[in-house]
Amino acid sequence: MKKKLLAATLCAAMTAMTACSGGSSGTSTTAAATTAAATQAAAAETEAAAAEEASGTINPEDVTGKVMIYTSMYEDIIEAMDEKLEEVFPNADIEFFYGGTGTLQSKVAAELDAGKLGCDMLMVAEPAYSLELKEAGVLFPHEFAETDKLLFEYDEEGYWYPVRVCNMVLAYNPEKVSKDSIPNTLEGFATDTSLKGKISMSNPLTSGTAYASIVALLDAYGEDYFASLGQQEVAIESGSVALTKLETGECSEIMILEESVLKKREEEGSLLEVIYPTDGTITIPSTIMIVNDDYNSNANTAACEAIEDWFLSSEGQKYIVSGWMHSVRSDYPDAPYDAIPTKEILENVMPVDWEKCFHEREDIRTMFQENVTVPQ
Amino acid sequence: MEKKVYFDIKWVVILAIVGFLLIFQVFPLLYLVYRSFFSSGSFSLEGLKRIYSYPLNWLCLKNTIITAGLAMIFGVILAFPLAWLVGRTNLYGKKFFRTLFVTTYMVPPYVGAMAWLRLLNPSVGTLNVFIQNLFHLESTPFNIYSVGGLVWVLTTFYYPYAFITISRAMEKMDPSLEEASRISGASPLKTVFTVTLPLMFPSIVAAALLVFVAAASCYGIPSIIGAPGQIYTVTTRIVDYVYIGSQEGLTDATNLAVFLMAIALIILYISNFVVGKKEYITVSGKSTRPNIVDLGKWRIPITLLVCCFALIVVIIPFFSVVTTSFTVNMGKSLFAPGNLTTKYWHTITSRKSILGSAKNSLISAVWAASLGMVVCLIMAYLLKRTTVRGKQIPDFLITVGSGTPSVVIALALIMTMSGKFGINIYNTMMIMVVAYMIKYMLMGMRTVVSAFSQVSPSLEEAAQISGAGWLRRLKDVLFPLIVPSIVAGWFLIFMPCFYELTMSNLLYSTDTKTLGVELFTYQTYHSQQTASALATAILVVVIVLNVVMDKLTKGKFSI
Repeated sequence: MKKKLLAATLCAAMTAMTACSGGSSGTSTTAAATTAAATQAAAAETEAAAAEEASGTINPEDVTGKVMIYTSMYEDIIEAMDEKLEEVFPNADIEFFYGGTGTLQSKVAAELDAGKLGCDMLMVAEPAYSLELKEAGVLFPHEFAETDKLLFEYDEEGYWYPVRVCNMVLAYNPEKVSKDSIPNTLEGFATDTSLKGKISMSNPLTSGTAYASIVALLDAYGEDYFASLGQQEVAIESGSVALTKLETGECSEIMILEESVLKKREEEGSLLEVIYPTDGTITIPSTIMIVNDDYNSNANTAACEAIEDWFLSSEGQKYIVSGWMHSVRSDYPDAPYDAIPTKEILENVMPVDWEKCFHEREDIRTMFQENVTVPQ
Repeated sequence: MEKKVYFDIKWVVILAIVGFLLIFQVFPLLYLVYRSFFSSGSFSLEGLKRIYSYPLNWLCLKNTIITAGLAMIFGVILAFPLAWLVGRTNLYGKKFFRTLFVTTYMVPPYVGAMAWLRLLNPSVGTLNVFIQNLFHLESTPFNIYSVGGLVWVLTTFYYPYAFITISRAMEKMDPSLEEASRISGASPLKTVFTVTLPLMFPSIVAAALLVFVAAASCYGIPSIIGAPGQIYTVTTRIVDYVYIGSQEGLTDATNLAVFLMAIALIILYISNFVVGKKEYITVSGKSTRPNIVDLGKWRIPITLLVCCFALIVVIIPFFSVVTTSFTVNMGKSLFAPGNLTTKYWHTITSRKSILGSAKNSLISAVWAASLGMVVCLIMAYLLKRTTVRGKQIPDFLITVGSGTPSVVIALALIMTMSGKFGINIYNTMMIMVVAYMIKYMLMGMRTVVSAFSQVSPSLEEAAQISGAGWLRRLKDVLFPLIVPSIVAGWFLIFMPCFYELTMSNLLYSTDTKTLGVELFTYQTYHSQQTASALATAILVVVIVLNVVMDKLTKGKFSI
């Protein structure tokens, strides 16, 4: 009797399992149906939007539907921004998926392999990545009206715009070393042998900003720069580990994003200080992009366009600046907490060649590995 | 056999599980391998050639084999005597030590690695400076950024795998064999070497395999300890390739991951070969009763030695993690004016999402561990109790899954499980459970397989003759005999899933955020202190749960 009962239970469990697998494919059909419906709705919306555009600007109240944004911005800032966006676009359902740049890029790559992205907009990485996505035919062109206000390079066809600016700088701990005793240039960072074994930087193989920086340094100082960086035994590690090492005195100077130091100063009252390199700060804009209907998940480009405009407006930029990054607009007055004014930084920058970043990636990475990564 | 077709529930269950493995594990990984050979549309070895002709990659392969190999050897050398002392002798505070020794397993490896980095870095490491001052040395004695340092941290983190596996098997060993040895005049030590050790052989091999695979495929520790000292491993290279974020980066990463899968297979093959030749049945019909060895005059010195070990390997690094969570400026002493704070604790407790994440982690880890153990049990049965051709294949598959770096598994699942091939579980909790199972099922599988090989089939045969069906035999004979191993295996799967970070970060969606994702955020975008606070909180919760379980089940279900 007991035996039969058990068998029955097991059978039931297995039926449930089969039902489950059937269920999942069922869900996917429903999802497809929903998408189709959404596409139709979106098409209607696009028409409406087009009509409105002809007559003037879009009313934020009319922005509806779901929009998923992949971003690498700090989560706290996203939370603040999310609340504001709900206020501005009360009828739209805007969601953020947060991840590190490398994580998001690999997620996108895997999703592209499967044929569809899980998002409608991307706010991640630097222009080289935008160039790559544009070439892959993933992006949707959007016309932004105030391009004359933008301080940084943008795509003429509207596939991507800079939305926030990160700066690669040097940092030190005034409680352990004095500013005069350490190099204040990026060149000195690699050549001052008194720093041997006491410096650290991010991994250009996993971080887009670190990669852009080595491209700028390569243009400025040639391959020799990296040979000496290798001899300095620079530690390649994540920014948060590097900052802790700066605090404990294990590192004397690090190459790091300005925002990480500013954040620590404001939030933790840290005394760590930024040095804006006298041979030029490496200024790295990060972009905003819309995914086109072939790849996006909610077919809602009309809403995306309105959202992109908001991010690029002075109001949207306020949140960028409160997130310790600089604004991309020439008419935005403030710099982030404890930072020097954006204009002052722009007077002395080390330029990054984005086309080179994109096209010579493999060679530059190999060059870096052979000089710095491989034990000397 | 006669050509009699009859319905046998046993085979239905086995086939169902094999089907599950085929769809959710074999297919995604196979797709990756396929991609690496057919990256240009037709079959080519170009990709492999490119990856394996690069000297740095060979260096990484070498580093991986050396560090994981040494961690395996030291891990087992540490775990066996500890398991024996805790399980078989009258050591003082046995129960306390048993819990303590598995505690490192409950801390996320990257948090622990940061603790060791603070203690033993060559310039200002706390422990290093302390020893330097104590003995008036000219320089600090240890450098964590070395092969030795990496092996040390890997060993301290992965020996619990061996400890848990071996001590569970020891509980099930028939003490009469040891008694026979003692009665025949052998000393306790001689008994250990001539009876206990050889009988424990399958479990020791299983334990070694676990430690090796875990150490070779982990990313957190080598990225924090190895990379600054220019010691790169295969996993750190794979992540380098993956995070390029391009299609070719993915292909390169896969090509490199194939190597880890191959290594895992070779190790499994060797271990099966070594173990497979002999009989290790120690659990037969008689009841077993733990046989306690009296340590005699060595009782106090050995207890002290174990205390020292616990202090160095467990207490000091944990203490470091806990104090970090209360320190404002890591460059100053905790007791410097204004340096003591609870704001990091406030940060983790005030966050809205943290409770939801904890719940998601708990649910997905419980599912992964429970489903995982069902799969392991049935597949171990297939391996040890049937004579079907190819019965080793599921075991191999489970091993390959564990040998594959987490990030590769996650990407394979995104590519295959998001609707392209008719199954869409992307952005659900299911995809995380599947990922966790692929990665961590081996922990349960090895424990159960070694338990099976110690239980005599004669017990089941007796039940069968008495008329018990398959399910009845499983439930009334086999299951009760290997319950300790099942509990151990469940826990071994549960714990790493609970704080899993790499896969969760790629697979989570807005409503399936887990603790690992929170930890990653704190680690990268907040500070070490906040991450330490969360890790401490996780540890406290797990220990409390463990104690409660222990009390409720009177010692049956605890670690």
